[in-house]
Amino acid sequence: MRRLVALLLVLPLPLAAQAGGQGSPPSGGSAAMAVVPAGAYTPLYSPEAGQVRVASFRMDRFPVTRGQFAAFVEANPSWRRSAVPPVFAEGRYLADWQDDTRPGGEPAAPVTEVSWFAARAYCGWRGGRLPTVDEWEYAARADETRLDASADPAYKARILALSTRRPSTPPPVGSIFRSQHGIHDMHGLVWEWVQDFNTVTVTTDSRTGDSRDTQLYCAAGAEGATDREDYAAFLRYAFRSSLKGRSTSSALGFRCAADL
Amino acid sequence: MSFARKARYMAAALPLLALGCGAPAGQVDRADDTLATAQPADHSHHGDHAHGNGAEHPGTGHPDLPVDAPSDFSIYHAVSVWTDQHGDRRPLDSLAGRIQVVGMVYTNCAYACPRMILDMKRIEAELGGAQDVGFVIVSIDPERDTPERLAEYARGARLDAERWTLLHGDDGDILELAALLGVQYRRMANGEFVHSNLLTVLDPSGQVAHRQMGLGAHPGRTLEVIRSLAG
Repeated sequence: MRRLVALLLVLPLPLAAQAGGQGSPPSGGSAAMAVVPAGAYTPLYSPEAGQVRVASFRMDRFPVTRGQFAAFVEANPSWRRSAVPPVFAEGRYLADWQDDTRPGGEPAAPVTEVSWFAARAYCGWRGGRLPTVDEWEYAARADETRLDASADPAYKARILALSTRRPSTPPPVGSIFRSQHGIHDMHGLVWEWVQDFNTVTVTTDSRTGDSRDTQLYCAAGAEGATDREDYAAFLRYAFRSSLKGRSTSSALGFRCAADL
Repeated sequence: MSFARKARYMAAALPLLALGCGAPAGQVDRADDTLATAQPADHSHHGDHAHGNGAEHPGTGHPDLPVDAPSDFSIYHAVSVWTDQHGDRRPLDSLAGRIQVVGMVYTNCAYACPRMILDMKRIEAELGGAQDVGFVIVSIDPERDTPERLAEYARGARLDAERWTLLHGDDGDILELAALLGVQYRRMANGEFVHSNLLTVLDPSGQVAHRQMGLGAHPGRTLEVIRSLAG
């Protein structure tokens, strides 16, 4: 295990220090991103059977905080709540902020009430991007000691409890657990945006022969859930499928990722 | 309803949907519903529109917006730059000023995509040139659908260059446009794509005026909306 920790290279994004200046995560001197090694995993839902390869990538150790997002809107006035075009964010965007640039509240708490467009712009500003759903789900299988704890019923139960009993006001980042990847708060703090939230995760089932099968999607070919016991994953897939790019929620934040 | 509760509700529903045939339709429908509340989707409003990029629509009666919001739902706020089938650089907002019928497809598609383009050609034929309407094909497969390939496709499908724009872009811009239009797609390991069969009518300011779902759908409502916009 120690060796695995040592493998987690420290590769901060160029602008990470700047972005994290105010209200930076309580991570001491540790770099903003952890490296997640390449591998394969089986998505809960996928139009295709089998495992998905995930290339090595970097991922924020913490969700983006209110303080960090304040630095972003300070530097990018077009993303202030008074300026953002409604096509990019619904009316509740940053609704709990004191004003256009001051978040108020706990600066180390994860920023919420941000749309996908805003989250994507933030990550781009930092020189990164949002993680893909595959990257997020792949990284989220780790507990404190195992890179893949997803087959363990106790882990599933724990994640489910974390996912369904989250506090209504998110505590500061770093409050949940630090995974073997060195990544915190994947479960139980906030839901998180992914780059391809609008990806097709479910296709119609050809067994029923319904003609809508070919009505809505170019290619059919169904794949039901691969792990019917993983209720926490059901929650995440269901939540994502309920979102539009301009959606915001008091329980939805994000973290950034980057290619290696 | 809290999101946790909503998610629990959906988690219960999702496995069932996955077994039936309604799931993708349901997803697209929900996206449509939201747009319907966010947009002046009722075509009776369209005559009131000030056209042109950045125009404000009346903005009242949309429950998720404060009354004083600059209710501008133009997708031309996105600053992406594309390459068309002639190899010319095309900022997204270069489509402004004209009613546009937009489909996100890929030209190697074996089944649905040519049919989506057929549906677009049917709309073109039904309009009979009476309205100034553009038709935009945005490829979701930038790797294979190079501008050259798109030009070849346009020639083969006899798409009138005066009306038809075929766009090649980068992955991030395609993703952003899909999010703006409510199109879902995914590249599969075999290089094929699954995607929504969704045509979007944009008014000249870039607001979504109508969405036509499914293949071979009768375009009656689409034609009505276009004629009303052009009115």
